[in-house]
Amino acid sequence: MEAYRHEIILGTIILYMSLCVLIGLWSMGRTRNASDFFIAGRTLGPIVVSLALFASTLSGFGFVGGPGLVYSIGVSSFWMVVISATAFGLGFFLVSKRIRMIAELRGCMTIPDVIAARYGSELARLLVAVTIVLGVLGYLATQILAMSVVMQAILADTEMFADISLLSCVVLSSTVLVFYCVTGGVIASVYTDVLQGLVMMVAGFLILITAMQTFDGGLREASEIVLADDGESMMPFGAAGIITSLGWFFIFGIGLAGQPHIVTKMMMNKNLADNRSILPLSLLGYVVAALLWISIGLVMRAVVVSGGAEPLTLPDDAAATFLALFASPLLAGIVFAALFAAIMSTSDAFLNIGTAAIIHDIPRAVRGRPVENELLWARVVTVILAVVAAGFALFSYYRDATLVALLGAFGWSTFAASLFPVLAIGLNWKRATTAGAVAAVSSALAINFIVQLAGITLPWGITGGLAAFVTSLVLFFGVSYATPLPRLARDIDRVMEI
Amino acid sequence: MDRVLPYVIFAVVLAMAALLLLIGITEAPVNAAGVAHDTIPAMQAGGDGAARLKAIGGYAFAFNCMLLLFAILLCVLSVSPGKRTPAFFGWMTITFAVNILVWQQMYFQHQAFLETGDTGWFLGFPTATAWQVYGVWFAGVVMIAIYSAGFRRYILSEEDERRFEELLRESRDSLE
Repeated sequence: MEAYRHEIILGTIILYMSLCVLIGLWSMGRTRNASDFFIAGRTLGPIVVSLALFASTLSGFGFVGGPGLVYSIGVSSFWMVVISATAFGLGFFLVSKRIRMIAELRGCMTIPDVIAARYGSELARLLVAVTIVLGVLGYLATQILAMSVVMQAILADTEMFADISLLSCVVLSSTVLVFYCVTGGVIASVYTDVLQGLVMMVAGFLILITAMQTFDGGLREASEIVLADDGESMMPFGAAGIITSLGWFFIFGIGLAGQPHIVTKMMMNKNLADNRSILPLSLLGYVVAALLWISIGLVMRAVVVSGGAEPLTLPDDAAATFLALFASPLLAGIVFAALFAAIMSTSDAFLNIGTAAIIHDIPRAVRGRPVENELLWARVVTVILAVVAAGFALFSYYRDATLVALLGAFGWSTFAASLFPVLAIGLNWKRATTAGAVAAVSSALAINFIVQLAGITLPWGITGGLAAFVTSLVLFFGVSYATPLPRLARDIDRVMEI
Repeated sequence: MDRVLPYVIFAVVLAMAALLLLIGITEAPVNAAGVAHDTIPAMQAGGDGAARLKAIGGYAFAFNCMLLLFAILLCVLSVSPGKRTPAFFGWMTITFAVNILVWQQMYFQHQAFLETGDTGWFLGFPTATAWQVYGVWFAGVVMIAIYSAGFRRYILSEEDERRFEELLRESRDSLE
């Protein structure tokens, strides 16, 4: 079996990609209008929504950047994973019920639609739509880049594609993604998410078993090796320290309810009461799949510290190196398929919400009406958005080889800081005003981009995302209290009473 | 309570902002956010943990207490006032207490390790890290249990569903 390692890995990935294409073709017949394309017509059952929700949450960041961060800075990045229960719980408490109600009541298809209905403001819709487009470009580029780098590494091991360029890998990997997103819209997206979620759960579980067998003493021996080398790396705040860790606790724990690609899924379930089972099912899927993040990172750090392997050139190589050293060809194939699944399930969600923002929300905010033939334009813009993001990915790659993980976190924190106050608090607090919403989104965008683009380093490992999040919350409450009491539309007021 | 709650949440947000500011203006040691590993490239080390917690440990501890309180208060805010029964407040208080207990155990077990260099072990991790890995996750599960098990009492009762259906009907009628 080992002699056919590359063939088995490649075969597993081709099988997975083929299934995605088939789902795209199957979904094409079910996508008849823009509502089907963007929110699957609000017809999905609890298991499909649960798997789609967690699959969209765990991106390539979790499979490449996550283990890389544990390898690089130890336990610090565990915070992004262990906080998931609180994050999902808070997200459902704050968002799931009212977003679904407003979506049905007002026929909303997108998050900016819901924002416009809640605040009665086209300016708020426009700002949120622009935020989504900016965040999507960065996030999508990161995902495409990660997918292409992994594909290049896999193909480079074969004779036929040994010299394949990154550009070719970008084209190859994006084609399947774009195909099923264009043909089947969000229906294809959520049903591929089901497949992708299941693959990720299987991979997470199998990798944990493999990781525990890497050392005779199991995970404890790996922990002891890391602890003996540098105590702080194995303690709760890791090498990155307490403030960076708590910043991630804040951004990932609270901020999930502000992630548009995730909360959009909360508008798609058929029955409101399904939320009570969707929440625990989503969390279960996430936790099982995320075991890969923790176990690979920790074991690879221990292996390198103990001299069992050469130091990695880049922390992001941790997962690929682990698979090469310790996984059977079939397991490696499943995990690589799961990696593509993680990347594609998040990317399709981003393509969908980015397209919606461009053809549905921005025209409505600027011209007061949507474009004609939204379904056709949705398909055209999906392709354009993917091409632009792929170009952005290549540009970022050749100009600055920053960790994929940190780019991913930047995308998450931009959304968390910009949208959490406006959406998650705004749906539950009638006193929130348009001015408060505009102040929160603008400040979060400004701080995140200035800190990132200017390369500003804040003391104690305070991230730009944390500073932006706290500032936007202060401004959201402060400006709302300082401006006159808003008059809510009667139906929205009644939804907020329920 | 309805009117006071958002003010309390705002006060908690201001407290977090103030604590973050205090941390930001406190002089940071070299290893505040990690240093390069002595021998392994592309790897970071934490170095002297006691030194980097000395100046801001108290602020950071308080910051996370505020953050946990913020999360619980937001859950309360999301539940309509009519459903905020004494039992609901009881469950939320228990959730907050569990979260604080986990945080307190994690923080002080870490302090104990910094002082003695010794640690106990639990399911593959040092005690402080085990509180982080298992405790934080469990504390969140309590919140989820309240949501799922108390769904009809606190989130969406059958009466709520009827009210929403009525609202939908009225909305459709007004469009026609």
